[in-house]
Amino acid sequence: MKVQKSSIKYYVLGFYLLLLAVWQGLFFAQVLPDYLFPSPWQVLRRLWELAADNYLWPSLKATFQRMAIGFSIAAVAGLFIGLLMGMSRVVNSCLRSLFLGLQTLPTAGWVPVSLLLYGLSDRGIYFVIIMSSAPAVAIATSDGVLHIPRIYLQVARTLGTPAYAMPVRIILPASLPSIVTGMKLGWTLAWHGGVSAELIKSTIGLGFLLQMGRELNDAAQVIGIMLLTVIFGVLLDQFVFGLIQKRILLRWGLAQKA
Amino acid sequence: MPSADPNLEPPAERRPVKLKLTEVSKIYANASKPIAALQPINAEIRAGEFVVFFGPSGCGKSTLLNLIAGFEEPTEGEITLDGARVEGPHHDRLMLFQEHGLFPWLNVIENVLFGLRRQFRFKPKARREKARQFLQMVHLDQFEKAPIHELSGGMKQRVALARALAPDPKVLLVDEPFPALDALTRTKLYGDLQEIFLRTRKTIILVTHDPREAACLGDRVLVFSGRPGRIKAEIEVNLPRVRDINDSRVADHAKVIMNELEGPTHESPEI
Repeated sequence: MKVQKSSIKYYVLGFYLLLLAVWQGLFFAQVLPDYLFPSPWQVLRRLWELAADNYLWPSLKATFQRMAIGFSIAAVAGLFIGLLMGMSRVVNSCLRSLFLGLQTLPTAGWVPVSLLLYGLSDRGIYFVIIMSSAPAVAIATSDGVLHIPRIYLQVARTLGTPAYAMPVRIILPASLPSIVTGMKLGWTLAWHGGVSAELIKSTIGLGFLLQMGRELNDAAQVIGIMLLTVIFGVLLDQFVFGLIQKRILLRWGLAQKA
Repeated sequence: MPSADPNLEPPAERRPVKLKLTEVSKIYANASKPIAALQPINAEIRAGEFVVFFGPSGCGKSTLLNLIAGFEEPTEGEITLDGARVEGPHHDRLMLFQEHGLFPWLNVIENVLFGLRRQFRFKPKARREKARQFLQMVHLDQFEKAPIHELSGGMKQRVALARALAPDPKVLLVDEPFPALDALTRTKLYGDLQEIFLRTRKTIILVTHDPREAACLGDRVLVFSGRPGRIKAEIEVNLPRVRDINDSRVADHAKVIMNELEGPTHESPEI
């Protein structure tokens, strides 16, 4: 079946409406009791109550603040380490194996050690965010540096660019496409790590609201907050990092205009 | 002041020697046995001369260009520019590469300005003015703000040419510059390059494996043969510029160049 590209978005919309209908249908069929399996409407109402009771907004703000601070540190550190890896074979061989190893650890795996190190303070959440995302940023950055077309370096040399100016004038901009890809992945991992850490360590934040829902046996809240976590994660991934990435790939000649 | 009329130029043999190659050889140390890329080469290139290095792939012509550019060091021998020994890459010997190598994060004029960064004696405004001048020379002054990915292949190569000319190098080194372009664009670029040569009287060395291109562009064609690379013959092309690649006289010279390459050699041929 051939589908017009422009009409695909209607299919997608239809798919989600169908999903919602199935959900509602299962609810009506009472497969599980409604305190375990709430309807979409109940979830929405619970979210509304949370917002009205002034629970939701402070938590969203807290989570985003932690993410902004934690991810900024992770991005800068990852970028710097990645540049070093890209410019030194030894540093690259050592750190790459370490970081790839660390990446097999689920982001939530950093939570226990952060509890040991920082107790219940917010610093522990930053720690989890940074450890979850910085290695991904570093690896992507070093990949970018290692795959810079040789011609850029040759041109820069023949035009008299001194060695000390290379990182800023050539290496960083030339590896930018890889760097934003790494940032995008790093953001997703940071989001995972941050919310996981909040589950256990926090008295405010999306993760906290999830945990609170479980403790109150409130399935509507648990599902509602999960949905919000997905929605905000996707929004940032697609509409912030995704758009920046698209622009850069186009400009660098690595993608065609759609 | 450079002149548009080649007849007003002093004849080549009375112009000063720009680039002098003395017993220049290149041997690559290999694990099993050393590979001689270039046998000792002697050559003189005079100021304002357009010299073509012509030969099949692997004949060492690109290696020699890299030695002149300073990307590699000769194993033995010496290369001098205006009497001073060449060491390492420098913007007095600018290389125009096969790929245009334009920086996609900069727009057209910023790419040209990149090459003028080292010219501290000019203020930023003067540099921009200069960059514009060279964009005009390659007929791209309308596109100074365009991002690179919006240009055609021929336009990109012309921006690269402007970028290489703007810092006013003593020698322009051109490494098979137009292989990926269609015939029409190429014909146009041959014309542009010659016009720029007449206007600036820059010393140009161009490497090619196309005998027509060699005959169309060169004042003098050095025919290389492999391996190891050496200069087998030298052919003067005394045709008025701007030459057309499709001119029959250019074709005749191309034939002479080809014959020199394929002609008898005094050494046993390598099979």
